[in-house]
Amino acid sequence: MSDTDSRLPAPLSTQVFHILLSLVDDDLHGYAIIQDVASRTDGGLRLTASTLYAAVKRLLESGWIEERTTRPAGAPTDPRRRYYRLTRLGRDVARAEARRLEQLAAMARAKRLLPPLGASAKGARA
Amino acid sequence: MTDYRLTGVLRAYRAILAMLLPADFHRKFAHQMIAVFAELEAEARQRAGRLGAIGALVSELPGLTRLALRERRAERVSRSLSPGARSTGQGMFESLLQDVRYGARSLRRSPGFTIVAALTLALGIGANTAIFSVVDGVLLRPLAFRDPSRLVAVGEQSSSAPGAVSVTSPANLFDWQRSSRTMRIAGFADRSGTLIVHGEPQLLDGTQSIGGMLQVLGVPPLFGRLLSEADEDPASPPVIVLSYATWRDLFGEDRTVLGKSIAVDGTPRTIVGVMPPDFSFMGEPSAFFVPAHFDAGFRANRDQYFIQAVGRLADGATLEEARVEMETVAARLRRDWPVFDTNLKIAVQPLQETLVGSSRTSLLVLMGAVGFVLLITCVNLGNLLLARAAIRRREIAVRQALGAGQGRVARQLLTESLLLALIGGALGVSIGKLFLELLLAAPVTSNLPRASEIALDGRVLAFAFVVSMVAGFLFGVVPALQLSRGSSSEVLRDGSRGSSSHQWTRSVLVVAEVALAMVLLAGAGLLLRSFALLQRVDPGVRREGLLTFSIRLSQPNPTFFPRALARIEALPGVRAAALVSQLPVTGRGIGAWLNRIDRPLPAGVNPTGEAYRVVTPEYFSTIGIVLERGRLLQSTDSKDAPAVVVNAALVRKYYRDEEPLGKPIYLGAPDNRLFQRASIVGVVSDTRDAGLGNSPLPTVYIPTTVMPWWNRFSFVVRTQQDPIAVASAVRAAVREIDATLPVRDMQTMETVLSTAIAPARWSTALLGVFAGIALVIAVLGVFGVLSYIVTQRTRELGIRIALGAAPGQVRRMVVRRGLALGGAGIAAGFVASVLLTRFMASLLFGVTPTDPLTFAGVAMLLALAAVLASYLPAARATRVDPMCALRAE
Repeated sequence: MSDTDSRLPAPLSTQVFHILLSLVDDDLHGYAIIQDVASRTDGGLRLTASTLYAAVKRLLESGWIEERTTRPAGAPTDPRRRYYRLTRLGRDVARAEARRLEQLAAMARAKRLLPPLGASAKGARA
Repeated sequence: MTDYRLTGVLRAYRAILAMLLPADFHRKFAHQMIAVFAELEAEARQRAGRLGAIGALVSELPGLTRLALRERRAERVSRSLSPGARSTGQGMFESLLQDVRYGARSLRRSPGFTIVAALTLALGIGANTAIFSVVDGVLLRPLAFRDPSRLVAVGEQSSSAPGAVSVTSPANLFDWQRSSRTMRIAGFADRSGTLIVHGEPQLLDGTQSIGGMLQVLGVPPLFGRLLSEADEDPASPPVIVLSYATWRDLFGEDRTVLGKSIAVDGTPRTIVGVMPPDFSFMGEPSAFFVPAHFDAGFRANRDQYFIQAVGRLADGATLEEARVEMETVAARLRRDWPVFDTNLKIAVQPLQETLVGSSRTSLLVLMGAVGFVLLITCVNLGNLLLARAAIRRREIAVRQALGAGQGRVARQLLTESLLLALIGGALGVSIGKLFLELLLAAPVTSNLPRASEIALDGRVLAFAFVVSMVAGFLFGVVPALQLSRGSSSEVLRDGSRGSSSHQWTRSVLVVAEVALAMVLLAGAGLLLRSFALLQRVDPGVRREGLLTFSIRLSQPNPTFFPRALARIEALPGVRAAALVSQLPVTGRGIGAWLNRIDRPLPAGVNPTGEAYRVVTPEYFSTIGIVLERGRLLQSTDSKDAPAVVVNAALVRKYYRDEEPLGKPIYLGAPDNRLFQRASIVGVVSDTRDAGLGNSPLPTVYIPTTVMPWWNRFSFVVRTQQDPIAVASAVRAAVREIDATLPVRDMQTMETVLSTAIAPARWSTALLGVFAGIALVIAVLGVFGVLSYIVTQRTRELGIRIALGAAPGQVRRMVVRRGLALGGAGIAAGFVASVLLTRFMASLLFGVTPTDPLTFAGVAMLLALAAVLASYLPAARATRVDPMCALRAE
């Protein structure tokens, strides 16, 4: 782990983190983000249009995501849909947040709040 | 560009966005937000219909409000940093926000009023929310099956209740299945069985599936598979599908149960699937599902009626086409099977209607009743707001003098009412939750069809929200209009005296209130009278000191029941014990065709099916059925020439002017008779088996010796003292004979009878509570208005007394006024009641919907309430000190 990670960065809101996660693999439009978050959380987090775009505006302003000027290949040509892409900065921020969560989980594990990681998981971290 | 369908909900969303969002944000994102919301809305609409779409809109509101507030704050900050940049187009929102803030402040200034108003509203909205949850879960929500609107109930048209769908025989079901092109038809039947639950044998209600019934309903299993038609081949291995509850209780949610075996009535069956937790089968819990194993003989059986059929309409087929098709099928069956199917008519009905039809009226009456309570609450709040108006006139006049237009003032007042309604609504939802829990704790509610689907969910919240807004508008609009009119200068000059049109409005409101209360009281009164009459009905049995329970053997065992009876009779505290195939008052029981051998029916005419009950000879004396003629059954009666006893209702139907004793009869279809020939040896008194509200059914009592294979009996045990005291001894006695047999439904006859009238008691109690609330609110309304009028007329009354009017005269004057208001309300309410109570005719017993006694009683009660409500203000009027009254001006 790098030195900067020893300081705990400020946590992201759950919603923001989930939106960033949705954009890691794919450039998505608004409704697809909502669907992706809902399916990943088993319906536990259902964004509304307003919560989504409140976050989208801030993410755009922070430069963590950007709007695609071209449509992804094969996407339906619905003109109302805007596709968003994770920027390099956004990816770094999401990674930092994931590290922070991982550190927290490790602390919980040390306190035996969580069971120790399995052998395979340990190997994967090497 | 906007190619999505602009539904009302979408349009509302678009308007709300335009109103709330700052221009900048709106320009950038509104388009996308609408597009996303359109998808969410369509999704919700597909899941839960129009209410679901409204729910989607409601769930957008909190986030949207937060977003709007934050963006506007940010905009204000940036504007103050760069002066000169002034955006436009937000006056509407700013002033709305101002109205809300002002309204909130004004409500906070009069906490007493706010608390009383919010609480009464909360009660009204809470009651509405709770009852709506029940109505929604039972009546409105589509059944939780795949494509439920395509599911129908198919059955023989019942002769007793036209339009109702009744059971059919295996052979008929298979005929229908083969001939139908418009439907895939399947059937199901009760199949209770004994399973070992935690070491204890328990008789559980199961279901037998015929023709792939679970597949027709189309609910995927939680895991494993559903039963298929192949499982119904008698040669295929016995399998079973468990309900979620059974799986949880027996296997602790162990996912590896597939392939394990479980014994039902001692026969092992392989578990092939588990149903999901929310699968409620036909509104009744079923612990497990097994395929029917009918052999060829049984598949051809035409005189055992026990199968309920369901069908799924084929793609493109309509209900009407299915009905026409079944009519031709019925015509053919009538021709092919004249003995069995002479009168056959096949009914096809939407499944949902079949499941909930019986509870529809009482639920709708209750919904109407809570609606009325809320209306009365609104009227009363409107009145309260008008009373406040006297205080607020000056404040409003000042605002008007400062340049606020009429519309602005009206909107301000309406915003305040809506705010109040929203507070009441929010409180009401929590109260509604409480009400709903109380309702669901009542055994009657949990016995409603589909009771498991009742929940306070998004649909109900949307309903509560809409009701609150409507209520807020209803009680807010009259005062708002009243107050915003009138010229400000006049008010400022004239002091706080109210205008006469104002008083007139309040009187109209009071009359409406009394009228609404009258309708509710009339409805409750009618139910109360019905219930009293119902309770006075003689069930035909002596209920005191009777213990009952039932036992079902998995295999016929001719020695078990006689041994159990002997054991129980020998217990201390027991006077007598007997067996009956089904307890009185609990339903029709089993029926069979009845034929008089001495007077055969003309060829081609079917005999009618009458109820029969299998009993031991001591049954009549034990339960208190009286011998009217002839003799009772005896243990010495021979099995070959059976003696039977019939009830008086059967004699009335078949032997009007004849002597029934000694007449030969037979039961059952000609080639499959329960017995060939029996003689009537006695006539006994009637019991109300089809419910206390229905007339006695013709019944034949058959001795157990004729049917030694009968394996399911209810015991009736007459005890010396409290039947509950011997219950555990009885249980132990049964266990001594066979420790594996479950004893079911052990209860007193008293309980059996009160269960029979529980639904009536429930609706009576609920409507009674609502009517009581309505009465109290209406009395408060009359009281409030008269107090107000007295206050307004203090000066006039003071002068009258100063001029020598006797206190009695003044009192009479005020009371007369109260009576006039009350009388007008009673008259209006009378008309409305006559129009409305006929909708509850099917809930009544022994009284007509316009029962004069009830109407007169209710009118008297209201008149008395009006007198009481006017007497106090009248008394105060006489205490007016004339000098004081004059000085006050």
